[in-house]
Amino acid sequence: MELVFQLLITTLQISAVYILFSLGLTLIFGVMQIVNFAHGHYFAISALVVVYLMPWLVEAGFPASAAYILSGLIGIAAAVLVGLATYQFGFRHFQRDMVGSFILSVGFVLLFDGLFLESFGGASRSVPSIVEGTVSVFGAAITGQRLLLCFAAILTAFALYLVLMKSKLGSALRAVSIDQEAAMLQGVPYNKIAFSGFLLAAGLAGIAGALIAPVSIVTPAIGADYIVKGFIAVIIGGLGSIPGAVIGALFVAFVEAFGGYYYGASTATLAIFFLVIAFLLFKPKGLFGNG
Amino acid sequence: MANYQIPSWVIFSIFAVLASQYFSGSHSASILNSIAIAALLAGSLRFVMLIGELNFAIAAFVGIGAYSAGVATTMLDISFFLAILTSGVAASLISMVFGSITLRSGGPYFLLIGFAFTEAMRIVYSKTDVLGQTSGMVGIFPPIEFDDWLSLFVIIICLGLLFLMYVIEKSQFGTIFKSIRDNSDVTRTVGINVLYWKVVCFAIASFCAGIAGALQAFVNNVISPGDFGYLLAVFALAYVKVGGESSIAGSILGAIFLVVLSEFALALGAGEHIFYGAAIVIAVLFMREGIVGLVSSTISWITKTRASKEERV
Amino acid sequence: MNSEQTPLLSGRQLERRFGGLLAVSELDIDLYPGEILGLIGPNGAGKSTTFNLLSGFYPPTGGELYVMGERCTGKSPTKISRKGLVRTFQHGSLMPSMSVRDNILLGTMHQLSGRRRIERIARTEETAEMLGLSAFLEEVAGVLPHGLQRLVSIGIAFASRPKILCLDEPLTGLNHTEASSALHVFERIRGEFGCSILLVEHNMKAVMKICDRMVVLHHGKPIAAGRAEDIQSNEEVISIYLGRLDDE
Repeated sequence: MELVFQLLITTLQISAVYILFSLGLTLIFGVMQIVNFAHGHYFAISALVVVYLMPWLVEAGFPASAAYILSGLIGIAAAVLVGLATYQFGFRHFQRDMVGSFILSVGFVLLFDGLFLESFGGASRSVPSIVEGTVSVFGAAITGQRLLLCFAAILTAFALYLVLMKSKLGSALRAVSIDQEAAMLQGVPYNKIAFSGFLLAAGLAGIAGALIAPVSIVTPAIGADYIVKGFIAVIIGGLGSIPGAVIGALFVAFVEAFGGYYYGASTATLAIFFLVIAFLLFKPKGLFGNG
Repeated sequence: MANYQIPSWVIFSIFAVLASQYFSGSHSASILNSIAIAALLAGSLRFVMLIGELNFAIAAFVGIGAYSAGVATTMLDISFFLAILTSGVAASLISMVFGSITLRSGGPYFLLIGFAFTEAMRIVYSKTDVLGQTSGMVGIFPPIEFDDWLSLFVIIICLGLLFLMYVIEKSQFGTIFKSIRDNSDVTRTVGINVLYWKVVCFAIASFCAGIAGALQAFVNNVISPGDFGYLLAVFALAYVKVGGESSIAGSILGAIFLVVLSEFALALGAGEHIFYGAAIVIAVLFMREGIVGLVSSTISWITKTRASKEERV
Repeated sequence: MNSEQTPLLSGRQLERRFGGLLAVSELDIDLYPGEILGLIGPNGAGKSTTFNLLSGFYPPTGGELYVMGERCTGKSPTKISRKGLVRTFQHGSLMPSMSVRDNILLGTMHQLSGRRRIERIARTEETAEMLGLSAFLEEVAGVLPHGLQRLVSIGIAFASRPKILCLDEPLTGLNHTEASSALHVFERIRGEFGCSILLVEHNMKAVMKICDRMVVLHHGKPIAAGRAEDIQSNEEVISIYLGRLDDE
């Protein structure tokens, strides 16, 4: 029983990051009808910034938590900036062009891969702990660090929910996702909304990256590890669907946590893949997809 | 009767064969091999674009072809030609299973699950003892008699398959494929089974991809899982996009241009990633029709200028 | 036309629900051999949904569909078209990147699949000639003017020589001359080829002129059905159109 709880906690914690990741992916697809392969790099740049900046700040005398928050914010800003650049110089011209935007994003992926490798080298880094010790939840042990990560991710997801449901921007984003023409007829300024949606998604990836940095080994290639699972989560949930992205992320995390424990990480990945293929037989567009 | 541009193909083939004899030093031969296989790869990717899908699973099928050739040659003692053929068939059969499920979804779903499939296959190779796990397979050699002729053989096979894809494209099958791309609802309503023809197109393209993989295995003599990751699909995409999507000539030109250019770029020390990444971004943003587009606009610009000059005279 | 005959196309209490929205309900509709049936109604009345239901693009959420006497409820568009029902689409009912010839040729592919290429080409040219498209066969369909594109879409559908031809607003965007010649073609299709036609149209003059019978939809339900003259003087129909039906 203890084991099950431990694995459930692991699921929750893995899913936290996947949720933020896939929410960004599905948001961009819903609003702009594009598939952004480079999404993982917004995530990666944020994690890399945190991993390099935080130890430096700590050495400069900042307390760990302040250093983390500061470097996290800068990391998120970096992610948004990179996202902005890719939007301005690229995706802006490819809205509603799924193939063209995907190909462009692939180009960006390679460029960023090369650039990151040159700038950051191939080595992996990690950050000093922010919160020490472990906590016991229902008899399962979870490090304080990871608990923090969980809470922060859930908080972010909840904040996003509020934005999407209650704010003007959120309603506009949802309207455009459902029916772009109708939204435009209602006066929704599509270009502005697309722009905001894109930056919001990049920001989510940045937050995810900042949150993962303290609990993971960060390499410049970290985006690639998450992008596959992120896309699978979005396929399951249905491209463009926000609740779908959450469910998909939970599923992927669940199989990864339980499958990974009993059979190893790569077997778990294989299992996820074959399960998704089988799933597509019954639901070709995912659970709630309108792709 | 469709115009199959036979003269152009013949001239180009003669050119290619001559090149293989002229550049027979081992380094140039290997570049020629790379170009030929790259062109076949690009042609295969482009063929699936005829039904309006972006086949990101192509690397998986290249890998299946390569490993089939490896297994056939090093473990089952199957003859060279047969090994290559079975690689193509294996890739094609698996593609039919994969495609009949995933082509129903099409679009972004097909794209993303193709990417996931590539990664999944890589994991399969990495974990299978028989396939050498992460170290891959070695000792995949063509028969000794073939040593001098390998490059020629590779070129002939690649050109042959490219011509085959071209002929199919120009035929009434090609019309069906393109109608699926343009407007699959209309295709449905005139009684055509859209999924069936999508799978046929995909199977043909995967056959070619499998052969490309087998050729790669014999040319390099060693293969490992890392050779068949999504980067391979990215290369294929770069060849197609830079060369020009509108015709198969674009795939060939793109392959020639980028492989040759990358030899120079890599010699200068630039990262492979940055090179291909920049090539794609530039092609997509500034050269939508690729090299083929540039060439044809130049030609029409020249003919127009000449025509207007003649008018003035 | 004889209403004692078995209808080629029959809908019984067809219903289509989208979540909470009932787009079409209680729809009974019959198309008899050799007749031209008009489906009219104000915008949002459910005409497109009905078309999608009858051609299999939407499975009905209630009711039954019969095509050529066989129960086809829930069958795919491909299967229904193989029974002899072909439809056009209101928007973009052709392949823009292909030539007119290839577009129409596509319509012959399944129907003449066992036959020789020559026959498909002959059927293509015959269809093009009937629609006045012979001069445009080698043109790329996407760059043609709107009126010609409409004719191409009809050509694709008709090339398969269906028993039931469903035309979704075929006259939209056509000028007076083009519309007249299109109507002429419909008459020929019915007369010479024995094809029944189901027509959705907003152009009331055209509808009145060519349709033998009409079905009027309002809020997804049929509110009147019968001969053109009867519909024209039906008070309920007049009120939903806010005016007389012989106005444009």
